[in-house]
Amino acid sequence: MSTRWFAPAPTLLGLCALALLAALPLALTPFEIRVAQQLFLAAAMSLAWNLLGGFAGYWSFGHAAFVGIGAFAAGLVGTRLMPPELAAGWGMGIAVGAGGLASAGIAALIAFPLLRLRGIYFAIAMLGVSQVAGELSANVEWIGGGLGINLPDAAPDWLAPETYFYQLLLGCLAVTFVVAVSVKQSRFGYGLIAIREDEDTARMLGVPTERFKIVAYVLSALLVGVQGALLAYSLGYFTTQSVFRLEFSLNMIVHALIGGIGTLAGPIIGASIMVVLTQVVLGNLLELHLFITGAVVVVMVLAAPGGILGLWHDYKHHRAARRAGAAA
Amino acid sequence: MTISRRRVLVGSAGGATLAIAGFPAILRAQTQRRPLVFGGSVPMTGAAAETGLNVLNGYQAAVKRINEDLGGLQVAGTTYQLEVRMFDDASDPQRATTLIQRQVDENIGLFLGSFGSNIVLPTCAITERARRPMVQAGGGSDQIFTQGRRFVFGIFPRATRQFDTSVAFFKRLQPAVATTMIVYTNDPFSRFQAEGAKKAIEEAGMRVLDSIALPAQVSDVSAVLASVRQHNPDILICNTHDENSLLIARQMISSNTNTKLLYQSLGPQTAAYREALGRYANGVVTQTYWDENAAYQCPYFGNAKGFAEYYRKNFQRPMTYHMASAAACIVAYAQAMKNANSIEPARVRDALAAMDFPCFYGRVKFAAQGDGDAQLLGPLVAQVQNGQLAVVHPEAGATGRPVYPVAPWAQRG
Repeated sequence: MSTRWFAPAPTLLGLCALALLAALPLALTPFEIRVAQQLFLAAAMSLAWNLLGGFAGYWSFGHAAFVGIGAFAAGLVGTRLMPPELAAGWGMGIAVGAGGLASAGIAALIAFPLLRLRGIYFAIAMLGVSQVAGELSANVEWIGGGLGINLPDAAPDWLAPETYFYQLLLGCLAVTFVVAVSVKQSRFGYGLIAIREDEDTARMLGVPTERFKIVAYVLSALLVGVQGALLAYSLGYFTTQSVFRLEFSLNMIVHALIGGIGTLAGPIIGASIMVVLTQVVLGNLLELHLFITGAVVVVMVLAAPGGILGLWHDYKHHRAARRAGAAA
Repeated sequence: MTISRRRVLVGSAGGATLAIAGFPAILRAQTQRRPLVFGGSVPMTGAAAETGLNVLNGYQAAVKRINEDLGGLQVAGTTYQLEVRMFDDASDPQRATTLIQRQVDENIGLFLGSFGSNIVLPTCAITERARRPMVQAGGGSDQIFTQGRRFVFGIFPRATRQFDTSVAFFKRLQPAVATTMIVYTNDPFSRFQAEGAKKAIEEAGMRVLDSIALPAQVSDVSAVLASVRQHNPDILICNTHDENSLLIARQMISSNTNTKLLYQSLGPQTAAYREALGRYANGVVTQTYWDENAAYQCPYFGNAKGFAEYYRKNFQRPMTYHMASAAACIVAYAQAMKNANSIEPARVRDALAAMDFPCFYGRVKFAAQGDGDAQLLGPLVAQVQNGQLAVVHPEAGATGRPVYPVAPWAQRG
């Protein structure tokens, strides 16, 4: 995967933004920190989904499977394979890594048959995978999803739990963003976009479509698995119902759609808008919040299928065309 | 200054005007209540919405009763107007944590619980850290009560103690129960319950002859019943869901498999089960968290029936025991504040921990770790008698006397 994405100025700008965000909890209330936590997690999940759904055009309706697999793998490693004195700190790091690897491993196992399906068939197959994985976690005794897994308190004593997970999820979003940038700017990324535009033509032109799809799928599952594991630790106690949630799958798609599917900033913009809208703006409108949220999604899909970034690009093109017309 | 008639008239008129204008303000000041908010979240949408709305209705029923019929809550010379400020957590634990954190930041002092241990646990971790009490009727998981939390109270006993009242009932029976057998559906809820039952029975000195798991979907239990006939236990305990309980009972009748008592944790509570079995349902024992016929007196609702009548008169949603257990949370808070003579969270917490208070739901008393006392707040034991459920244990809430041993199927009337 050759990359041509490193540029000093944007990198410096990105690092400054990251430092600023890392210092932000000093000025935020615990509630605002928790909202930011949710925003980072939602943005990171949507970005990871976007690697496959946005770049390669393979829309998965069941990525919650990887949230759940990551959470349960981390939970089982953190509570059954690790001595209690190691369970927090580095132990949590190992468990979260195991969550990501388990997700990636299972994705690698099912990738070949699943990615032979296209369009709605792939989407529905992934929905099935998510349902089956959820049922297994609830009913297989040693997984323990029905009774739930209780994770040790991972935050150090000197740091509030919400701030600790804020920093971890911010770091996770940053890593996911860097991965997404490096994929998009690479030959691999161009290959994925070629697959999205016309898979048969891409294969005819020499793009190793099977390999690229599998790599994108496994990479996406790895990142979502890590995010699921962090979610599990931030909740402290979780059951099948906490992590194998259809909402996770849908939100990954909706956030990318609203911001701009297949773009780098789109999922982050979409997640920011929807999390602030649902958690802050509509937090007090119990009867209306689901209705308004749904209406926003419908309006966005109808009025701006390219998302907010698509609208912005259209506006820029329109303005440039008008200027060119005026000059002529 | 000379006092003229004119001055007296003007003065009197002015005084009267001021008095008339000021009287409502004086009256308002006397009757004005200070608001007292209970925070929390509850699933109003999503997977747990059905039960979540039951819980919400229960909270609202108790608050309405105290505000509208009992003149508000009087604590330390101040009258409080109670308000339940619950937000929809959409059955999502992650969303619930932000909702609770927001209310903690807004300095809400007293919290009510959501429904489902997977939501209650992450949220009670936040209220515990903020040292604000949470009384809840939606989480029975042992983990809520076994991690050293001091500010979390549950109306239900923890999950592994929820069979204790049934075992206490078995111990009361004469002739003494010596042997039991357990059949359970192989799903997490039933398995957990069956494990708790086995432990409690053996601790009470009775024997569990066998423990058999059934698949979730089962259409024939004849092999299980052959084992029951072979072991011949005094009591057959079924930790099964409604439809499997009905299947077991039907096949016991048709194969004339008799035990001294059939205990089914789910099924006999429903009219559909009792109608389906007809006279054969008589004698079957079950558990129920609350029964409106239970003989519990209460200063807030009169008695258990009083709560049921008040609820039905004022709310549309069909009543289940969730409404009663949720209303009991508010009643427990109200009584704790009266006992503490304060609404300050730490003092209310201490009063809750020390509480021993009879109400329409039973005697509210919490174990040292905060869960409901297993004997006082554990499920009631009820027996089908003449087609209706009669509470047979504990004696304090009993509406009937237990029938044991029960007549063989062929002789049931």
